[in-house]
Amino acid sequence: MEALENLGVWGSILIAVVWSALPIVFILLYALVTLYAEMKIAAHIQDRLAYMRTGWHGTLQPFADILKLLQKEDTISSAADRKLFRLAPYVVFMGTYGAFSAIPFSSIYIGSNIDLGVFFIVAVSSLVVVGILMGGWASNNKWSIFGAMRSAAQMVSYEIPTALAILIAVMITGSLNLQDVTKFQEGGIHNWVVFGGPLPLTQKLLLIPFTLVTFIILFIASLAEVNRTPFDLPEAESELVQGFNTEYSGMRFAMFYLAEYANMFLVSAVTVALFLGGWTSPFGSFLSGPVWGLFWFIGKCLLLVFLQIWIRWTLPRLRVDQLMYTSWKVLTPFLFVCIFGVGLILVL
Amino acid sequence: MDLYIIVFYLFALITLASAAIVVISKNIVYSAFALLFTFFGVAGLYVLLMADFIAVTQLLIYVGGILVLLLFGVMLTTKVIRVDMRTATVRTFPAVVIVAALAGTLIGIFWSTDWPQSPASDGFERTIPQIGEMLLTSYLLPFEIASVVLLVALIGAAMIARRERKAL
Amino acid sequence: MAAVRAYFNNIWIALTTVAVGMKITFKHLFVPAVTLQYPDVKLKLPERARNRLYVNIDDCIGCDQCSMVCPVDCIIIETIKSTPDQDLGTTSTGHKKRLHVPVFDIDIAKCCYCGLCVYPCPTECIVMTDVYEFSEFDRNRLIYSFSIMTPQDIELAKEKLKKAEEEAAAKKAAATAAAAKAVQPSGAQALKPASPEPGTPEQPGNS
Ligand code: SF4
Ligand code: SF4
Repeated sequence: MEALENLGVWGSILIAVVWSALPIVFILLYALVTLYAEMKIAAHIQDRLAYMRTGWHGTLQPFADILKLLQKEDTISSAADRKLFRLAPYVVFMGTYGAFSAIPFSSIYIGSNIDLGVFFIVAVSSLVVVGILMGGWASNNKWSIFGAMRSAAQMVSYEIPTALAILIAVMITGSLNLQDVTKFQEGGIHNWVVFGGPLPLTQKLLLIPFTLVTFIILFIASLAEVNRTPFDLPEAESELVQGFNTEYSGMRFAMFYLAEYANMFLVSAVTVALFLGGWTSPFGSFLSGPVWGLFWFIGKCLLLVFLQIWIRWTLPRLRVDQLMYTSWKVLTPFLFVCIFGVGLILVL
Repeated sequence: MDLYIIVFYLFALITLASAAIVVISKNIVYSAFALLFTFFGVAGLYVLLMADFIAVTQLLIYVGGILVLLLFGVMLTTKVIRVDMRTATVRTFPAVVIVAALAGTLIGIFWSTDWPQSPASDGFERTIPQIGEMLLTSYLLPFEIASVVLLVALIGAAMIARRERKAL
Repeated sequence: MAAVRAYFNNIWIALTTVAVGMKITFKHLFVPAVTLQYPDVKLKLPERARNRLYVNIDDCIGCDQCSMVCPVDCIIIETIKSTPDQDLGTTSTGHKKRLHVPVFDIDIAKCCYCGLCVYPCPTECIVMTDVYEFSEFDRNRLIYSFSIMTPQDIELAKEKLKKAEEEAAAKKAAATAAAAKAVQPSGAQALKPASPEPGTPEQPGNS
């Protein structure tokens, strides 16, 4: 590190690049695993077996899939707006990846330990909306534009419950910095914000119903934020073919796909850091430390990702009006009540 | 020349180039999308000015809210109703006068102001607690008034939308 | 008040039903798969499964009934009459074979597996088997030829038939000439010579 710093500009650029490239390595590995897990879980829920012929129990299938995507022809329809069409997947991925910089993977690794933490994540994620609109519009295809419109409307609406739910966790922990939020919850499972945080017992007991409700609402809203079932209207394959990425193929499609999977992890990571103790061990100081921290963090996130997959293969898709009803008439009022309650309890 | 300077010029370049596209482009959708990079670049510049809260707020409100609204408007009009929206140059003379006056004022301010030159600090100061405290103490009234105005706008929008549906 | 109750009731129902659904899917996560690992494990087909056609050409009498009935016309049969001096043998069902079958092609790619061709066959030699894996890369390879006659055999059979026909024609010509001579005195009847008399014994081929 110090030797590199002596190199001046290039050294600092190199450090910055390496430091910021760590999450992408993780995202790629994670995407491979999740790709496989998603198909396997889907199959087993439906009493099937899924891939069995590529490697042991089909473990090589994700690699084969990626190889296939890599060598597929990158088609652009003649009526599409070529410039924006090409740009869109990068904007989407940029939004997702940018948000990864504020995720505390472990006590020693966080891309950028900024004070704004979650606020930054919420803000940068809005790039995804613009990217999706861009892709949908540039495709010049009815399905794409419908998908993009729905996606934007959905994400903008669900940003409100998400932000409010995040606000509740922030009120309890008193910081926007996810590293601080995580440290606040150190000391075991009972100190997690979802169980009231490390507050005096009476306050804690009063808080638990509110935090539990908030946690569930945040999870529901985050499902909608990443366009997953039961909120997968933007991609609704039975109505819109494939939504905003109908026209995409090859690497550009892979980019959207990767962004979607990365987004799943991202929202899980935010939920974990805010409510489930981030990288802290559930057993207090037992099995804690930077490496175990990484293990706990990723483990908890993958658990939530599993929950997302499980829900995807259980529930049907909502209708557009039901989607809006859920956001504006159920989640938001409930969160207002929670904010009020939590504020009151914290002041007491 | 250190990383700070490089990043500054990078963001400045992004901002200026995309702002130029916004103005020059004949295709209004390009203008709208170029605005994304302008906002992004400006947010980057705010960060370099140690105003991280402003930067992130800029992203959240302008990119997440206003830009999406703009895009909806542009996309709905050009693609769905098939109106060919193009930007064109009209009334060149008054425009030149106004722009010249504006530019003159700005440049005048730019030259006459005594810009504080602080050395690039090592780390970020924690601005959020200060901002929060300020908002809820010395600037409580403007803060509350702003929120009431927004609430009124929200209710007004809902009212207009509802009435239109009944009329149909 | 009722509206408020309905609102909360809806939320409660939504939550509980989601929970029920998720419990069911979770249980199924551990239920053994009901599917088979197809190429490794195969389902035993029922005895009367209708799959690839097979023709036992030794038993085929070339009656063309299967070809006639086929709704998609995927069976093509050509026959050559045998001459009286040839004995083509009998089928296993005891039918006398009287026709050579130089061409018996089934375009299995067209076949819709209706099984209609199986029923009319008098000798039960066209049957459906339980073979269903016969995909090919070249469509022409799906035209199955069941005839076992070599080109030489066909040539021979054709020549023989031609010779026999010529002989028969010559015989017939001679016969008509003789008949004409015999009935010449009666005059008027000589005007319609070609129609074969019902009882003419020299008709070759079919019975
Ligand atoms: S099964 Fe049906 S379609 Fe196939 S050859 Fe026989 S009659 Fe024709
Ligand atoms: S019905 Fe049977 S005997 Fe007749 S031609 Fe077909 S296969 Fe041959």
